[in-house]
Amino acid sequence: MAPAASQSTVNVKLLLIGNSSVGKSSMLLRFSDEQWLPEDESSATIGVDFRVHKMDVNGKKVKLSIWDTAGQERFRTITSSYYRGAQGIILVYDVSSRESFDALPRWYSELETYVSDSVVKILVGNKVDKEFSRQVPEAEASAFAQRMNSLFIEASAKTSINVKEAFVSVVEKIIDTPELWDSGVSGQSKGQRTDGGRGGVPGGVQVVGLSDDQADQGGGCSC
Amino acid sequence: MDEEYDVIVLGTGLTECILSGLLSKEGKKVLHMDRNDYYGGESASLNLTQLYRQFRPGQEPPSELGRDRDYAVDLVPKFIIASGELTQILVHTDVTRYLEFKQIAGSFVYRDGRISKVPSTEMEAVKSPLMGLFEKRRAKKFFEFLQNWKDEDPATHQGVDLDKDSMKTVYEKFGLEPGTQDFIGHAMALYLDDDYITKPARATYTRIVLYTSSMARYGKSPYIYPLYGLGELPQSFARLSAIYGGTYMLDKSIDEIVTDAQGKFVGVRSGGETVKAKQVIGDPSYFGAGKQAEGKVRVVEEGKVVRAICVLKHPIPETDDSDSCQIIIPQNQVGRRNDIYIAMVSSTHNVCAKGIHIAIVSTIVETDKPELEIAPGLKLLGPIHDKFVSISPVYTPTTTGQDDNVFITRSYDATSHFETVVEDVQDVWKRVTGTDLVLKKQELEVQQ
Repeated sequence: MAPAASQSTVNVKLLLIGNSSVGKSSMLLRFSDEQWLPEDESSATIGVDFRVHKMDVNGKKVKLSIWDTAGQERFRTITSSYYRGAQGIILVYDVSSRESFDALPRWYSELETYVSDSVVKILVGNKVDKEFSRQVPEAEASAFAQRMNSLFIEASAKTSINVKEAFVSVVEKIIDTPELWDSGVSGQSKGQRTDGGRGGVPGGVQVVGLSDDQADQGGGCSC
Repeated sequence: MDEEYDVIVLGTGLTECILSGLLSKEGKKVLHMDRNDYYGGESASLNLTQLYRQFRPGQEPPSELGRDRDYAVDLVPKFIIASGELTQILVHTDVTRYLEFKQIAGSFVYRDGRISKVPSTEMEAVKSPLMGLFEKRRAKKFFEFLQNWKDEDPATHQGVDLDKDSMKTVYEKFGLEPGTQDFIGHAMALYLDDDYITKPARATYTRIVLYTSSMARYGKSPYIYPLYGLGELPQSFARLSAIYGGTYMLDKSIDEIVTDAQGKFVGVRSGGETVKAKQVIGDPSYFGAGKQAEGKVRVVEEGKVVRAICVLKHPIPETDDSDSCQIIIPQNQVGRRNDIYIAMVSSTHNVCAKGIHIAIVSTIVETDKPELEIAPGLKLLGPIHDKFVSISPVYTPTTTGQDDNVFITRSYDATSHFETVVEDVQDVWKRVTGTDLVLKKQELEVQQ
């Protein structure tokens, strides 16, 4: 794998985390499908695995796969495998729910356990459309995000405000950090990640490092 | 927790998670609980902290082993056969999208004090040091016979009836030496003991074909292995279940299986509350395994497996520095009834820090000194940096569960692969739903 040429597509895997009903799935739906389901139609997440979205960032083609929690945040049973290979994390809270904001340190400590420090994080205060019942001041959240070395934005999946901006700013920062996606720069075996979204090959088992191995077999055989 | 569920699943081992995933996909309302605060139960992969908590309570892992999060140490050593049944389930349920695999770099067999590659093709058989010149010719004929076998073409049968003739008859027909029989039966057909020899040859034939076709898929061994350890497998099926609405709770003490006056399942009591469901599925540890029986005996012990997780700072000697391998020590070679297995993985599989290799030596316990029994395996490893030994009873349910709606899975056995796990999944599925498990291809993206 040569150092990524500017034409080649960069695979980026983003994760959504945060308490139940802060609007993670709504953010995803708004961003990927330009849709929003009113409260009475949306329910606790069932059926959303991940979405793939293509975009151009700073002249690079990016294939984004954005993963949802499958509702496993409800009793804090997100699998460690959910976090594997993520380059960006979107932590969502609800500006009208103090509780969802106060839970953030626990989400950050989970990140500490499972992802490397270089992974890009953004804190998103969702539901700014509910300004009248706001419980988390913007300044407080912004200062907290800074302390946690995260980007910060307030958004509304309902009115679409800042949703795209949230996703784009994470991706831009990832693209600005080549060791997260360019195996030629990082020197680590990022080549083990065959696909940022792992969704690439339906109906098959992805076995990584095969071509290398087989090359070895051909060249290094001592018989 | 006032809701009523169709099925409560207890324990997040691979068997339970596959069942949970498949049942949720079928539209069943599933609640899945585990007493541990991690996924995987007996089939988990543990980080260092969890490993020490389990094997050496009160002791801190030494810092020289590296970062906690770099470790995912399997409790049960198994590999996935590339063309086997588990691969089928992985592909059909599309949980492959959560997993990445690497092939296991080598498959070896122990013979007369040393280890050699298991030949899997005629070509390899011809080069193998396992056989002398004349034996190689006989083996070649034997493998050609297997490869050319067609059920519908009697000309390929050479007078053999796979369903009637024993494997012994087939070995004798080709004049294969006992040593050759050993590696065919144990290193290729993967039998743990010699009982297969007197049974009809069909089963052995099928297993050899599975081995060779799996071998042909990726080249170096018939096995693949998930990056980050086997514990990724149950987690992937748990996510599948969750996507179809399954509810997950970890770190939950399961205090009682509640039954009615007729002994039928009512619900599960955890702490102060009882959650109701029509059926319960769980691993034996939730149904009295290892405890004094009070009331109904739901599981019995079939035997024990001894497993030694060995931390090495080098690859296993004489394996061409393979980053991973399986070594089988056939029982005859060391005067036992059951084979000894070695399964080794390393940092290439993201299961330990760089420079570390994790080898698990295991066998079915035959004496009252199980640790001595695995000595021939330990001897092959070279210097062992550290060792964690467990002796695990293998439990099996006493009833099918159809009378009381309590469906119990089996413990993980000593085989080196997941084929018997899938058999258990199929068996429990049939007991629970009354129908055979048929894998339907799912659509690609899940729409809501």
